[in-house]
Amino acid sequence: MSTRIITPVAEFADLLPQDYRELVANGPFFARRGLKDLGTFKEIIEEHPHCAGCGVALGVRLVAASLPAPADTIIIGTPGCSFFGLAQTAVNYSNTAFGNQNAVASGLKRMLSLRYPDRHKDVVVLVGDGGIADIGLDMTLHSWFRREKIVTIMVDNEVYGNTGGQESGMTKEGQVLNMAPGGKKFPKIPVFEIAKVSGCAYAAKVTVASPRMIEKAVNRAVLVARQVGPTYLQIYTPCPTNLKFSPDQTVRVAAEAEKGYYAVEEFITDEAARCLQQLTTES
Amino acid sequence: MYVSVRLAEEKCNGCRMCVFTCPDPNVFNFYKDKKKISVNASRCKGCGLCVVACPKEALSVSAG
Ligand SMILES: Cc1ncc(C[n+]2csc(CCOP(=O)(O)OP(=O)(O)O)c2C)c(N)n1
Ligand code: SF4
Ligand code: SF4
Ligand code: SF4
Ligand SMILES: [Mg+2]
Repeated sequence: MSTRIITPVAEFADLLPQDYRELVANGPFFARRGLKDLGTFKEIIEEHPHCAGCGVALGVRLVAASLPAPADTIIIGTPGCSFFGLAQTAVNYSNTAFGNQNAVASGLKRMLSLRYPDRHKDVVVLVGDGGIADIGLDMTLHSWFRREKIVTIMVDNEVYGNTGGQESGMTKEGQVLNMAPGGKKFPKIPVFEIAKVSGCAYAAKVTVASPRMIEKAVNRAVLVARQVGPTYLQIYTPCPTNLKFSPDQTVRVAAEAEKGYYAVEEFITDEAARCLQQLTTES
Repeated sequence: MYVSVRLAEEKCNGCRMCVFTCPDPNVFNFYKDKKKISVNASRCKGCGLCVVACPKEALSVSAG
């Protein structure tokens, strides 16, 4: 996006809503804003419709604040609670038919590379566990096999949250849900492990209990995807509504998981490590 | 009745744990110079995550 697009023409500026003018004057586009600046800039105009205490909403908010170049980023979504990222971040957003996100992202990335050969345009898929591990698994894997230079981020709430609580491939074995009364019969699909052997140059597993880890991982994932190849980030974003815990416990639930099965993990290829090393030396 | 977050400003030390924990954008403002936060209660959903996160017990959720 050119920042010119959102800058109001001087003659009309005072006709625009106050909220919009604030977003232009103090949003994430012109000055470099990072996670550490949360609370000092305007993140978005709209409020979003997520439930109180939603881990997905927190995950989306932390990811958006961590993007290294929000004005040159497009987020690709798909149906699910993460879709409300549309109303939650001020970053360009495109929706897709459920599960098609990595196919659409591949096309957009190629088109943007042709259209802007001298400028990095970051294409970031940001969708739910059902969107990636179930209906979109083939398209996700094929984008990795093809080494598409896109970032794939899963906000993993271990359930189909948006449609009332069906089990997803990422639901834990034995978990009982509104629409899985007998409990899930098989373990979480190891998407993180699959990413490592399917062409991802960088992958990380984090939770909303560690915002700084999210920032670090988002930055690495975006920088590596620009130069080396596909990257994957899996964020545990617990859902109080479907997992039926109190909404003030979301971060504690994530912190507890981080001590066990959702421990922070990072994978990086030698080539990606060299690329990051070089970028650090240059800056 | 509107349930939302309240701040006891004198207890706040500006650590910003609340800012990083709130799932809703633009509820908290942080003032670097004063090392304090303020809340926009009309954007708060009353989940209580910030209350749990605050080490100074400066936040509470209530109607009123
Ligand atoms: C092709 C198609 N099938 C089914 C649906 C209905 N649907 C919308 S969201 C969703 C589940 C989303 O689950 P997940 O990806 O885990 O996201 P969450 O809501 O948990 O964040 C389903 C089945 C749809 N929109 N399109
Ligand atoms: S159903 Fe769960 S994931 Fe969806 S908005 Fe509500 S809390 Fe968030
Ligand atoms: S109660 Fe929830 S929504 Fe309200 S300010 Fe605290 S964390 Fe944000
Ligand atoms: S967490 Fe508590 S002490 Fe820290 S900035 Fe927020 S209100 Fe102030
Ligand atoms: Mg889900």
